[in-house]
Order: sequence, then C-alpha cells, then structure tokens
Amino acid sequence: MKFVKKLLRYVLLFFILGIMVFPLLWMFRVSLMESGNSISFDNLLTASFSLQNYIDLFTNSQIGKYLYNSIFVGLIVTVGNIVFCFMTAYTIARYKYIVNKVLFVSVILILMIPIHIIIIPMYLLMVNFGIYDSYFALILPWLVNPIGIFLVKQYIESIPPAMEEAARIDGAGEMRILFRIVMPLCKPVLAVLAIQVFFTNWNSFLFPFILTQSDSVRTLPVALALLQGHQAIDWQHLMAGSAIAVIPVLIVFIVLQKQIVSGITAGGIKQ
Amino acid sequence: MKQKKTTALFLALPWIVTLLLFWLYPIIYSFIVGFTDKQLLSKTFQWVGFDNYKALLSDDSFLLALKNTAIFVVGTIPLTTIIALLLALLVNKQFKGRGLFRAGYFLPSITSMVVIALIFTNLFQRGGYIALLAEMLGFTPPQHGFLLDSSTALFSIMAMDVWMAVGYYMLIFLAGLKSIPQELYEAARIQGAGSIRQFFSITLPLLKPVALFILVINSIKSFQVFVEIFVMTQGKFETSTMVYFIYEAGLTTKFNFGYASAAAYILFLIVAVFSFMQFRLLKNRGTV
Amino acid sequence: MKKIYLIAVLVILQAQLLSAKTTISWWQFWTDPSIKPVIEEMTAEFEKQNPDIEVELTDLTWANGREKIVIAFASGTGPDVVELGSDWIAEFAVNGHLAEYTVDEKAQEEFHGWEMATFQNKVYAKPWFLGTRVLFGNRDLLTKAGYDKNFAPVTFDQFKEAVYKVDSLSKKIYGFGSNAPEKHRLYKKYLPFFWSFGAKIFSDDNRLCLLASDYAVNALNYYKELHDSCGYVANQRGIEDAFLDGKVGFVISGDWLLKRIENEKLNFNLLSTLIPGEKYPGKSFMGGEFLAINKNSKNKKAAQKFVDFITSPENQVKFCKANRSANPSSKTAASDDYFTSNTHLQTFIKQLQLANHPPVDPNWVLFESIIEKAVEDALFGDRQTATALYEARKKIEALR
Repeated sequence: MKFVKKLLRYVLLFFILGIMVFPLLWMFRVSLMESGNSISFDNLLTASFSLQNYIDLFTNSQIGKYLYNSIFVGLIVTVGNIVFCFMTAYTIARYKYIVNKVLFVSVILILMIPIHIIIIPMYLLMVNFGIYDSYFALILPWLVNPIGIFLVKQYIESIPPAMEEAARIDGAGEMRILFRIVMPLCKPVLAVLAIQVFFTNWNSFLFPFILTQSDSVRTLPVALALLQGHQAIDWQHLMAGSAIAVIPVLIVFIVLQKQIVSGITAGGIKQ
Repeated sequence: MKQKKTTALFLALPWIVTLLLFWLYPIIYSFIVGFTDKQLLSKTFQWVGFDNYKALLSDDSFLLALKNTAIFVVGTIPLTTIIALLLALLVNKQFKGRGLFRAGYFLPSITSMVVIALIFTNLFQRGGYIALLAEMLGFTPPQHGFLLDSSTALFSIMAMDVWMAVGYYMLIFLAGLKSIPQELYEAARIQGAGSIRQFFSITLPLLKPVALFILVINSIKSFQVFVEIFVMTQGKFETSTMVYFIYEAGLTTKFNFGYASAAAYILFLIVAVFSFMQFRLLKNRGTV
Repeated sequence: MKKIYLIAVLVILQAQLLSAKTTISWWQFWTDPSIKPVIEEMTAEFEKQNPDIEVELTDLTWANGREKIVIAFASGTGPDVVELGSDWIAEFAVNGHLAEYTVDEKAQEEFHGWEMATFQNKVYAKPWFLGTRVLFGNRDLLTKAGYDKNFAPVTFDQFKEAVYKVDSLSKKIYGFGSNAPEKHRLYKKYLPFFWSFGAKIFSDDNRLCLLASDYAVNALNYYKELHDSCGYVANQRGIEDAFLDGKVGFVISGDWLLKRIENEKLNFNLLSTLIPGEKYPGKSFMGGEFLAINKNSKNKKAAQKFVDFITSPENQVKFCKANRSANPSSKTAASDDYFTSNTHLQTFIKQLQLANHPPVDPNWVLFESIIEKAVEDALFGDRQTATALYEARKKIEALR
C-alpha cells in the first residue's frame, strides 16, 4: 500500500516535471542543432548534435561582454535589494507609525504604475543625471524594489515578535536586533527575494535597451533581442543564446534553494 | 521613543530616496501628460483637460482591451494560485530527488518571457506540437493555429502564463510553509486531527500573509500583462490587453503619449481598487 | 623643475589637441551575425580614411528600435546619423528633427529612391538600399499541376488559375501563402494588388482619399478569394516555412527569402517573377532603408561624409552581398556582376522599376494601420470588402 502510494507520487511528480521542462528541453535541443536546420519534429529527433552555435556566439558576437555586464549588474542589484528591501520591510512591519503606513501605500502604488508610461520620463531623468548609458542607470534605480519590500514585509509579519522583545529587554540595540535576530529568521524569504530579483533583473529588457547604447554596458537580454534578425529567426543561435541566459539563473536558484529548505528551524520558538 | 522613530525612518531611507529620486518625477510627469495631447515627436502640445479620459471611455479598442484584461485576470489568478499551492505541498515533503523537482518546476519562471513566448508561438502554430496533441486527444485544433483564431488565442496565452508563473508562486508558498512551526502540527496530531483537518485549521490560516502577497502581486502582474501579447499576437485576434493598448498608443504609430498616459492611469485606478479589496478581504477574517 | 612641469603640461595639451577627434554616433539595425562584421568593417575603414572622425556604433533591435529612436529624438538626445525606414521620414521631418539634405545633380542621377525622402519639396535622408516584393513560386508544384518549366504567371487570370491548380493537387498543398494580420506586413501584401488593379490611395492632387474605389474593392475581392479558397494562413515566417517545405504554391516575399534558401542550403526549384497585372505585369510595393542626419547634430559635416561613405557604390555592393539585399539604391552598384548574374536578383531589380511607394505623409503610419485594419476585417472578420474599405476611407479623411 505504502509502495503504491509512493509510486503514484513519483508518477505524478515526473508527469508535472515533463510538462514544466518540455519547452526548455526543446530550447536546448534546438540550440544543439546546426544552424540552418529545420526545427520540425522529425529533425529534432534525427539531427546531429553540435556545440557550434555556442562557439559562434562567444567568438562572433559580444555575448561574453554582455554576459559579464548582466552578472555584474545582477549581483549588485541583488545584494542591494536583500539589504534595502529587508530594512524597509522591517520598519513597515514592526514600527506602527503613520509614516510607515504611508510608505507601505507608496510601495503598493508604485507597483501599480504600468512601466511603459514611466520609461520616457525615466530616460529624461537619466540623461539629466548624466548617468544615461552607464552601469549606474542599470543599478541605482533598482537597488530596492516594491515587490521585494512587500514580500519581506508579509513574511516578517508572520514571525511572532517574541524574540525581538526578549532581546530588547536584554538591552540589545535596534540594529543588532534587526541584523542578528530578525534577518536570520528571514533566510527563506530573503532567498526567494534574491532569486526573484536576480532573475527579474537578468531578464529585464526594455529599460536596459532604452537606457543604454554602447556595447560596453548592455546586458544579455539586449543581446538576445539583437539576435532576432529582420525577417527570419535563426532559431539555433537564438536558442543557444537563451540557454546561456538560463544557466546562471539556474545556478543561483540551486545555490539558494537550500536556504529555503533549511527554513527557520534555528529560531524554534513560536507564539 | 524618539530614538526608535529615528531608527524607523533611517531604515526606510533607501526606499524614500529611491522614491524621490527616481519614481516621483516620472509619475508626476506622466500623470500631467495625461491631460495634454502630447505626441512624442512633436515639440508642441496643448492642454485638453479630461478629453483623453472621455475619449478612452468611448474607444472600442480600449474597451476591448479592458475586457480581455478582465478575462485574463479572472481566468489565471485562481488557477495559478491553487496549482502553485498544490505544487508547494507536493514538494514540501521529504523525499528523494526533491531538489530536482523543485528546480524543474521553477525553471519556466526564470526563463526570459520573450524566449518562452517565442517557443510557445512555435508550439501553438498550425501543425505544432500542441495542435498534434489536441488531435491525438480527439479535438480539432483551429485551422490556422491557436494564436490565429479569436476563440483560442487569448486562452492559449493564459494557459502559457499559468504554466510559467506557478513555479515562482510555488516557491513563495514553500517559504511560507517553512514559517509555520512544526509544533503546531504535532499538537494537532496529538489531538487526533487528520492531515486534511490540519491543512484547513493550521496551514491555510497561517499562510494568509503569504497568500495575500501572492494574490496582490499576481493580480498586479496579470493586469499588466504585456510581453507575451507583444511577442505572440501583437494584440490581434482579440488578445489586446490594457498595457498592450497603452504601449500601442504611446510607443508606436503616432506616439500619442498623452492618450496613453490617461489610459495608464485608468488602469492604475482599477488595479488600486482591486488590490484594496483583496487587502480588505484577507484582513477582515482576523489576523494570525 | 618648473620647466619640466611646464613641458609636461605642454605635451599633454598637444596630445589632447592632436586627439581632438570628432565623434559621430550612428544608430543602425543590422545586427545579424552574418552582417554585423560588414558594418563594423565599413566604419573601421571610414575611420581609417578620416583619422579625425570617430564613429560610435549602436545596434537597434527590430522589435523596439523605433521606440528608442523616437524617445531619443523627442528628448533632444538623438544620434548624429540614424537609419530610418522610408515610411518614418516624413514624421521625423515634419517635427523638425532631421537636417535637410542637399542633393546635387550627380547624386540625383546616381541614386534611386529620393522621392521617398522628399517631403514638401525638401529632401531629408539619403537612400541606402531599397526593398520590394516579388512573386515566388514553387516550380515542382507547378510542374505537377501541368505547367511547363518556363511558365510564369503574368496576368491576374493566369495567376489565379495557377493558384487554384496547385491548390487542388492535394489536401495538404495550398495555392497561396496568405498573411495573418501581422503589423507592417499584411498591408504590404494587399497594396501590390491594389495598385495593380489601378487603385490609388490619394488622388493626384492629394485632395481626396480614393481608398474605397471600385478598383480597390476589386483588388480586395481578388485577394480575398485567394485567401479564402487557396490560402495557407500564417504569419510571414510561417508562410515562408511552409513554402520552403513544399506545401504552398505561391508566396509574395522579399529578398530575404533568397538569403534563407542559401543559408539553409535548400535545394529548391524556385520561380521568381513580377507581381501579376491586368494584361501586363503589375505594380509592387517599394520601401527602403535611409540614412538621416539629426538636425541637432553638432557634426553635420562629418555625419554627411559618413553617410556618403556608407552609401557609396562599393560599400553598397559589399553590404548587399552580405545581406543578400537585391536592391542597392546606387545605380552603379546595381550594375555590378553580383546582381546582373543572378536571375532572381534581376527579378527584384526589374520589379523595382514597377513599384510604388506609399505616400510620403507624416501621418502615414496611422493611415497604414487603418488600411491594415480594413484588410484584416475583410479577410478575418465579418466585414464586406467594400464596407471595410469605405470605413477606412472615412477614418483617413477624418484625420486629414
């Protein structure tokens, strides 16, 4: 009985896995075909494998530089968000001042503005600040983001404040409480935040495209968009580029998912 | 007390600075532009008061976009949320290869939307895999492909969206599940509560803050659906959504920025009301 | 000590003076791995010939490039030189963003396409290379349908008959590749028939919109019949996939199809011929890529030099070879062996003589979307052809 249950569970797990990864397997398969091949079903099964598209991308295009830019910008923005979203979220969750209520409303409202309407004034702003076409334009405005604040705030609110109060009675300073006690408790959500920020930033296209113009600061999604030709799609090179784009995020995910798994068993006490 | 207040403000400083430096100006700018007939390339413009807003409410393509967005929101949110929760429960238990399944389920949500949309355009086309699958199951796929038919195009994109988003919300539910103390379950077990009972009396109520986050974020994102429409159908075959409409009005053809801004603020208002209701709904049932 | 310091300062100053280069920025769309190297090679060659000028190259994407150009120009930060599609020029010009271009007699004689950059008697950009659409057919299918190996449809009747014959070969074979409503694509398929049937968008004195004339309705009926009875409906790429796969008899397409056949090393029995007409070959659609200079540019002279360099006959041949473009704007370039020795490229060069371009009007992009909507409604919606065109005419008139 137990065995049957276990078997059923794995059948289900694999079935879902199949649905979830199939399109991406297709992507990897196409990326390993010689350019110019048809991407019809028969061909997917029979065509030979080749790494040529990846080699082409790294030798003929600037993709290495774009990749570096994406990693550089992505890491800084992610670290910034972990610290800043956490700080802001904590203050909104724990200090019940009017200002904080206003802050929270501002967080939610910013989320609701469609970005296409922001992009032109944002461009003007960057030009006037003198940071158009520089790393600063890709980093500064994005160091703290409303979704992140909201996410962490919701999480902190689900943690009982008992431990903080105990520490406060022991005479610990606010900063100490914040970074030594609350932050470790928030590990799972900060891991989620890090993944989310990293991949959003990693895949972000419109702002980096509008806010930069030189190859030296442009990021990977821009390179991917440039791979799409005028009239025809070179599927093999495009999919190779896309695969290159997926791999680093996958690594970040695998590294961080342990944090989500580990949970807050360390904390222990609850209500 | 005063020191505490200073700390509170200090902690919020990064957000306040970002808000003032980078967000305030664009928001005010676009809001004001909504009351003008500003076209991007033209150097002159005029005040038109509420004309843009009035014109929008009698613009058929705007109303169609509104309707499609509503279908999109109502259709995807419950599905995404429920599937994500079920997936989270499925991979939360201890078993071999758990990490692999989690990574696999999450994979779609870390892939660029543009790439996913391109892949699915291919899968949805006539003679594509999804059409073949439909035929195998005894359905007749649309003659020209799923995306070139008004009765299937929007639903196809919605299905893709659910597929893509569930992994991300699964992850958030997972983090939420981790914040529930195991002691509660032990206590319940001692009292003889079965696993279904435990789910409804412990898991679900304690997941409320996380669920609120998921609902709000997912609705905002769904109200703002754009990239998939842009890549897959360009708003044809009754798939145009609000943000696609805004994009088309403001950043293509005549670059009618005033009109687009007005549309954006109508959307803003709708989302704000919708989110407010969600906050209310989940708060009234008492906090954890 | 002081002396050394002074000398050092002088040396630095002089070095700076010597390196006081003019920098011009160029925004362009050709990022394809097979063609980007040629773009880079040309700019490098230019810099070599003009050591005092430096060229800053920015790539634009097809999907969002236009937005970037518009946002930059709208905020006064546009590049010195920009690649513009022919249908955009009037809109940028009317808003005072483009420098006027003086065309001498020699240039007038040498280059095709000036009329597409001429707005209110002033020229605002230089033609780089042009594009038109021709009719492609699958010879193998035509042979199966009973045609001899030299057959090429010339008239509407011949074409329709051939489409039907191919279509009836098998259930899985279609006569005509018909475009789904894809922006900037669908109307370019209708307009060749529109013009070939004798219709006009505006009257010669530009006063009236003639979009709903009998000619126009007949053309749309003809096109709709092909679409309804023999059409393989997909987006442009899908149609071309199916055509190259041997499933479609005829498609209307541009020179990129030749490039694709070559890139994918397809062994395809291709027919290329002029768009059909009433009795003689009809008119096709013509557009082009132009190089324009920003009115606010501080280096107009250098920019001009650069534009002339890129559009020189030699560089056009080089570019067109890499991109397999069939229609250089330069007449000297077009007489190069590369173009004259290839029958398919010759079809394009002939077709260009028989091609119309859309009216040069700052509102054209808007009119275009209205016309496209009418065709879409007639083919995919429930509108009668005449009603759809009539509504489009009304909308266009309201805007003028």
